[in-house]
Amino acid sequence: MKNRLSPVREIDAKAPTCRFWLRFAASRLLRVVLVLTLVSILAFALVSMAPLDPVDAYLGPNIFHISPEQRDLVVARWGLDQPPLMRYVTWVGHVFTGDLGVSPIFNQPVATVIATRFSASLALMTIAWTASGALGFCLGLVAGTWRRSWAAKIIRVYAYMLAAAPTFWIAIILLIVFGVVLGWTPICCAAPIGLTPDQISLGQRLSHIILPATALTFLGIAQITLYTCQETAEFMNSDVAIFARAQGASRWDILRRHAIRHAALPAITVQFAGIGELFGGSILAETVFTYPGLGQAAVAAGIRGDEPLLLGITLFSAAIVSIGNSIADALYHVIDPRITLAS
Amino acid sequence: MIQRKCAVLRRTVVLALPVFLSAFASVEAAPKTELVAALQGEPADGYDPLMGWGQYGHPLFQSTLLARDEDLVAGPDLAKSWSLSADRLTWTVVIRADAKFSDGSPLTAEDVAFTFNKAATVGGIADLTVLENAELVASDTIKFHLKHPRITFLENFITLGIVPAKSYGGDYGRHPVGSGPYRMVQWDEGQQLIVEANPYYYGPKPAFRRVTFLFTGEDASFAAAQAGRLDIVTVPPSLAGKAPTGMRRIVVDSVDNRGLMFPTVPNTGRKNAVGMPIGNDVTADPAIRHAINVAIDRAALVAGALDGFGRPAYGPADGLPWSNPEARMADADPERAKEILAEAGWKDPGHKGVLEKNGRQARFQILYFASDSVRQALALMVSEKLKPLGIAAEPVGKSLDDVRRLMNSEAVVFGYGSHNPLEVYSLYDGTLAGNGTYNAGYYVNPTVDEHFAAAQNAPSVEASLPQWRLAEWDGNSGFGMKGDAAWAWMVNLKHVYFANKCLDVGKTQVEPHGHGWPITAGILHWRWICP
Repeated sequence: MKNRLSPVREIDAKAPTCRFWLRFAASRLLRVVLVLTLVSILAFALVSMAPLDPVDAYLGPNIFHISPEQRDLVVARWGLDQPPLMRYVTWVGHVFTGDLGVSPIFNQPVATVIATRFSASLALMTIAWTASGALGFCLGLVAGTWRRSWAAKIIRVYAYMLAAAPTFWIAIILLIVFGVVLGWTPICCAAPIGLTPDQISLGQRLSHIILPATALTFLGIAQITLYTCQETAEFMNSDVAIFARAQGASRWDILRRHAIRHAALPAITVQFAGIGELFGGSILAETVFTYPGLGQAAVAAGIRGDEPLLLGITLFSAAIVSIGNSIADALYHVIDPRITLAS
Repeated sequence: MIQRKCAVLRRTVVLALPVFLSAFASVEAAPKTELVAALQGEPADGYDPLMGWGQYGHPLFQSTLLARDEDLVAGPDLAKSWSLSADRLTWTVVIRADAKFSDGSPLTAEDVAFTFNKAATVGGIADLTVLENAELVASDTIKFHLKHPRITFLENFITLGIVPAKSYGGDYGRHPVGSGPYRMVQWDEGQQLIVEANPYYYGPKPAFRRVTFLFTGEDASFAAAQAGRLDIVTVPPSLAGKAPTGMRRIVVDSVDNRGLMFPTVPNTGRKNAVGMPIGNDVTADPAIRHAINVAIDRAALVAGALDGFGRPAYGPADGLPWSNPEARMADADPERAKEILAEAGWKDPGHKGVLEKNGRQARFQILYFASDSVRQALALMVSEKLKPLGIAAEPVGKSLDDVRRLMNSEAVVFGYGSHNPLEVYSLYDGTLAGNGTYNAGYYVNPTVDEHFAAAQNAPSVEASLPQWRLAEWDGNSGFGMKGDAAWAWMVNLKHVYFANKCLDVGKTQVEPHGHGWPITAGILHWRWICP
């Protein structure tokens, strides 16, 4: 009994300790703060250098029935009467107290805009992220394990095509085919026309989310499939796998017992790194499907020069992406203790 | 096998279609009390009058002191009476006593005073910079003290919805409480607004108990109309050809105009705020501007660029009480244009096809927003029309921001159109020359400025109207065609809607810039005429 357990205990000793995790968390936190600072500086510089007059964009043709004095009042409300450096310093000061400022185009605190819009995007992104991760990983395992089969070839061609196709194009094709030609799905929005939330059934909600979610899922599938396929195929050609095959293990056995764990590392990296792309993709998908999520708000903020909102959204998405990457790093240590040892 | 698959697929489609369509089916047995409309006009910052909600169309949730009828004449709404003091510095307004907000609380003069005083400070689209303060005199009487006489202040009585002093706060725009005919049920931002009749409204009950406004894009709205899901929808001219089954076309006149703005001063080396030149030596010559005004064929522009959905424009406010038809000259007359140019000394000695004067060729650019196909068509058509005259006007598409940088030195296709004469003032008043977008052509004519000042100093709106008209043309001078021809106005758009054959929207106003929401101005007169 003791003998059988001893190798396990050996691995245990090498597994990450509590102290290790504390140090890990601290270093990651520092890194996230550093990234966010740099991102905010860059984003602010880009916004303030854009050749756009946000106040004129806001006023539009209304500009001619207000006086120049009133226009100055609007400029002051937007905070644009201050020089850019001052605006940035003030903004950073407020951010440290947890205040992201007020979005002038929505006339609402930035935090509220992000919270309401992100709750709509969250469902969309969660579905797409999970579905693309699970589907892509499975497809990749199949294509990598049975490399020469026709299924693998189809999967690979399919993945290359998806990897090459831009999201908005896939979204438009889906919209035309399923929304317009077949009429199976609604053309827009997150809810049916003229109904209050308590009148909307789950089925109706699903029918509205299915197309944008599918478009976003396609975006994520290709990459993870290709990476997993490559990793699995390499493992299948390794000495370990060939030896196991020689002992009579089937490809399925090797896949189940060894290859999944091997393929999981790059899959996790890609999946978590893909959160950033998911943000980008959701902007396009939401625009095509008139889905009122964070993506639409980001587009509005960019086009109309809403400085606080654009900075807020940039910071928020950067934070999510950095945290995602840190989670991926942490998972490495759990999945493969050798990484902790090496570091 | 394939045939069987197809049959299965077809069956699925047939079964699935009604399921999804049923979600939109709002067409029921009459008489209808619910409407679904797609009229654009969603305010991203909410339904807060202080931020600019209700400038056009009906504010729905709020009511205003005065209201314009379908002939644009201002009449009483919340206000029972209103008068301007002899020194033109104080408006006294008495309001009705029976008005209530949609939460049941009474609307008093205190709310009116609060609304105006607050609006003056928040930096929204309502312009109250001329207001010294709004003073509560009695529970139903307010005095508005102005810093200096300004007759266009009255516009605020028509456009500024009254908000409750007690409950007005930061999230008002998302939870509006007002004394208007409707109250908010639900607003899904970016998607739809659902409103229902306000039981506390003091006016006549609207015929439609519940209205859903969709904020879908042009294409999605049009698709929904085709599918019979909408009762009224805004349609761009390019799609306005044929109404879907069950709907008819409503074509509404507007002052939504497009005109050619000219720099009216020569280039003397001055630079604007972004370092670009001010003035254009060619368009600074009144003869060039007159010739262009006379040569262009406005009826052909309407037919060519607007698919016929428009009318010729001769001034910034055609058909409104403050425009002067006397300022017009006959157009589509290239021969007359040639005479004007020849009289002013423009010649083509080398027969190069381009006129010259003092060694300067008649060359300039016509800038337009590259994203706007109507403006592009106008610029191209005008350019073609001017070529035979020897004027080389090159149409150039630019981004909005590039146009703003270059607008002081080249001709630009702009579009405006308002129910407020202040717009005319912003376009032509000499004191605003080169102030941002205001009077970008640096047009200055002291006589015009005097008429503007006289209009703003008038003892009543009626008395101000002749002065506005004189500013356009007073027999000797003016900004209009016969005068300095500071712009060449080209077309006024017509706004097209498809409405259910059973929906009667009554007589419509001449609409301002902005196609869609303004038609709701008459929403209280909308009726369902089928049994």
